[in-house]
Amino acid sequence: MSRIEIFDGAMGTMLQAGGLQPGACPELMNVENPEVVKNIHRAYIEAGATIIETNTFGASPLKLEHYGLTDRMAELNKAAVTIAKEAAQGRAKVAGSMGPTGRFIEPLGDLSFDDAYTNFFDQATALAEAGADFLIIETCIDLQEMRAALLAAKAACDIPVICQLSYSEDGRTVTGTDPQSAAILLDAMGADIIGVNCSLGPEELVPIVKTLAENCTCPISVLPNAGMPYLKDGQTVFPMGPEDFGKWGVKLLEAGASYLGGCCGTTPEHIRELANAVKDLPLPERRLPAKRLWLTSRSKAVCIDRSLPTRLIGERINPTGRKKLAAEIKEGSLLGVKKEAVNQVKAGAHLLDVNMGVGGIDQAAAMKRAVTEISQLTDAPLSIDTSDAKALEAGLKAYPGRALINSVSYEPERIAEFLPLAKKYGAAILCLPITPDGVPKTAEERIAVMHKIIAAAKEQGLDDGDFLLDALVMTVSADKNACYEVLITLQMYRERFGYPTTMGLSNISFGLPNRPLINSTFFAMCLAAGLDAPIMNPYDEAMQRALMASAALLGDDPNGLAYSKNEANLAVPKAAATAKVTELSPLEAIKQAVIDGEKDEIPSLVENALKSGLEANTITEQALTAAMTDIGVDFGAGRMFLPQVLLSAETMRSAFNKLKELTPANAAAPNQGTVVIATVKGDVHDLGKNITGALLANSGFKLIDLGKDVDSTEIVKAAIENNADIVGLCALMTTTMVQIDKVIADLKEAGCDAKVMVGGAAVTQDYADSAGADAYAPDGVKAVELAKELVKK
Amino acid sequence: MPIYNTPLLAIDAKEARRYAGLQKAQDFAEEKILAACQDARLLAQPCSVWEIYDYDCQSQMIQSSPPCKIQGEKIGQHLAGCEKVILLAATVGDDIEEDVTRRFNAGEYSMAVLLDAAATAAVEQVADGLEKALAPKMAAKGFGMKWRFSPGYGDWPLEQQPELIRLSSAASIGVGLSSSMMLVPRKSVTAIIGLYRKQENKEIQHAPKGCAACSQVNCPSRKR
Repeated sequence: MSRIEIFDGAMGTMLQAGGLQPGACPELMNVENPEVVKNIHRAYIEAGATIIETNTFGASPLKLEHYGLTDRMAELNKAAVTIAKEAAQGRAKVAGSMGPTGRFIEPLGDLSFDDAYTNFFDQATALAEAGADFLIIETCIDLQEMRAALLAAKAACDIPVICQLSYSEDGRTVTGTDPQSAAILLDAMGADIIGVNCSLGPEELVPIVKTLAENCTCPISVLPNAGMPYLKDGQTVFPMGPEDFGKWGVKLLEAGASYLGGCCGTTPEHIRELANAVKDLPLPERRLPAKRLWLTSRSKAVCIDRSLPTRLIGERINPTGRKKLAAEIKEGSLLGVKKEAVNQVKAGAHLLDVNMGVGGIDQAAAMKRAVTEISQLTDAPLSIDTSDAKALEAGLKAYPGRALINSVSYEPERIAEFLPLAKKYGAAILCLPITPDGVPKTAEERIAVMHKIIAAAKEQGLDDGDFLLDALVMTVSADKNACYEVLITLQMYRERFGYPTTMGLSNISFGLPNRPLINSTFFAMCLAAGLDAPIMNPYDEAMQRALMASAALLGDDPNGLAYSKNEANLAVPKAAATAKVTELSPLEAIKQAVIDGEKDEIPSLVENALKSGLEANTITEQALTAAMTDIGVDFGAGRMFLPQVLLSAETMRSAFNKLKELTPANAAAPNQGTVVIATVKGDVHDLGKNITGALLANSGFKLIDLGKDVDSTEIVKAAIENNADIVGLCALMTTTMVQIDKVIADLKEAGCDAKVMVGGAAVTQDYADSAGADAYAPDGVKAVELAKELVKK
Repeated sequence: MPIYNTPLLAIDAKEARRYAGLQKAQDFAEEKILAACQDARLLAQPCSVWEIYDYDCQSQMIQSSPPCKIQGEKIGQHLAGCEKVILLAATVGDDIEEDVTRRFNAGEYSMAVLLDAAATAAVEQVADGLEKALAPKMAAKGFGMKWRFSPGYGDWPLEQQPELIRLSSAASIGVGLSSSMMLVPRKSVTAIIGLYRKQENKEIQHAPKGCAACSQVNCPSRKR
């Protein structure tokens, strides 16, 4: 990074001015009208550009498919480089431009990672073979596509690769990547220059450039638009003129960029002003970030460092010893895995360890799927935990971020297979001091192995900031020194390496009683000795409390504020447990519990009421039915809402079940009548019908629910066979409402004298009247009230 | 037929609360709504698809092959001044709907209703995600985007759903229609977005959006 380089400006608008027809392929100009392209290059070089971009933005095989030109890919790219070099005549370097595919890579879209890779590999090869000085991957809005392109570019050639994402106004790419995560990942993957272009003007790009510069050591490039285009007097114009554009060059330079240029709407004049504005300026001194261990997902970066709070690595996505999870994974279901991912993050995990170690499955395929699904659900960075190199590569390839590899031991195949993968995909490694001879027992021995692993990793090109050191926990019941050696190991890791540390904790307590006590005590000791990122069960409350207490004791939680708040919250009994029951009579307590929807409390309340000598019928009438009456009133008055009413209905159900269980003779549920209920033919929305059915069933009606999309014949048949008192019909849409008329007519024709009640979003009182219904229920609560009236008639 | 599957890193609990008809319920436990949102995230299979067409706003014709005339005065007004239109379809799939039914049958009524509401919030988010993905692309070409508008809003008849299914390539993501013009899976949307040339210092008129365009004024989910 010795000097300021100036890129050229927009190509598309210049091509149009040079005769490119709307709808035509711009890259075809490279062979059909090379002089036009060459003149554009010349204009930019004369304006001060020191790097010009080839006219190949859309010249990848997938993009050329739109024009049926895929088979001419190599020709168009090579011609473009030749033209650029001829125009430059040594005055400027040539960057081979590669734009996005226009499709999203799985799972965001339907393009496979491998197809995207091949697409970029072929174009990169053509550009490099023709003699481009750089490759520039630009205007990418998805990090996964950028990863495919960067891997392909590096595999295709040895020339420097520039990676430019485009960010929206919210400071993230369309698919959610922030500039910090992008800079960390692309730097680790070996991008030579990291930057940003298009979508925004220079003003909006200053903070993005600053963040990029603060998070990587490589040079930063920036090619802003001349603002956003609009229509003026029938012409598309970009609002920022050359002079203003040039002035922003200084700010972008100060923010950390040393490669400056323009994107949409910029002209040779813009580039001239830009070049002039910065030409006599020295390159501002950039404060490069310290090499710390950063991991990222698509949209979030997490740092593990001794100066930062402890980071928890959730260990629960692991089928070892978990039969149900293992069986699910084997069957190909990832629901359990997804649940663990979401729940662990909710419980406080900062990173997630993913292990698919189930026998008899394709581990690589399982790892790919798991990583893909989890990365769509949570933004916690992942640790890929496998001993199988194929599964590791499948996971790394699928992961749109910088993962941690768990783990690299000093065993020949791990060193040979895992380290190159770490370098290739920009992953960090969890170093485990195990050798083919086994587990080193003492701290000194572990340090010695660790030195060897790190030396081997550095030989592969990994560096400080890529390592997380595992202290290796053995079982204290088998080795009395196990805990002591871990504590010494942690201290020595800090002294000798300075890298952050990790370990799985629970090994320590195997074979001992009260393992949670041993685990949490051990955890606290390790935190004091220098543990930075434990691999643990984040649901373990004892461990979480030990962590908070340790943070207070070690000064990481100044004055123990967070600790105090947490303990105070735990000390207050939960609202549900307040002793309201004691103040109320048994009947009042049951009634109140139904109103409050206390489903779990009600069985014991019912049991107590029976024990106190109350009759089942009394409980039903004076507590349960009375509660529903009150609920109906509150609902009608807008003081209670449907999900609350349904909670009460569930509580009623639970109460009835308990009554039935304890007094089978007395507690035959009151039978108010029989209701046949259905959503009419053609209509698939049955939520409203289900709600109404649930409320009727729990108000003493015998319910026959025919489901949704039910034919008139079936409804009539059920009504007659069951001697229904009421037929309830539901239709949501105007298109299906007419079926109500048909059912009512068919019922009459069949001589069925059941009353008909109708409802649904589009149904009104007027409609119900005209269809000949006996009642119109605007909601489920009203339906119960009306049903009671109808059966009395 | 470009496909985009918005990741659901969170489901908007406030929207789920609204769709459950709980806007005014101060005392309804937030944990229940959050639990429903979380379950919805695990069950949802978010997916969306879109196509862009030229549009003649005078005749309300989409220049597809074969072309399609947009029926309805309000949608016509909404698309006035637009040169192109995006037709889109979005869904969260079948699994979530099956789980709602399963919960109802198991007597978990309130959770079923909350999950259904969370699924509605989710499918809207999937469509929002697609819009967000398209906006910068369109802006770079000088286009602004009108609100998303669906059949059934205002006076746009549901009978045009088959055309929306065709024009948006909805079948490619498994979204289709029942015989009575209902989207299957149920938690799906189809919509049109008008694209207009951004003018200097000129704000474009939009038709009423979302709830404001709907005639169900007593709907419990209606935005306050």
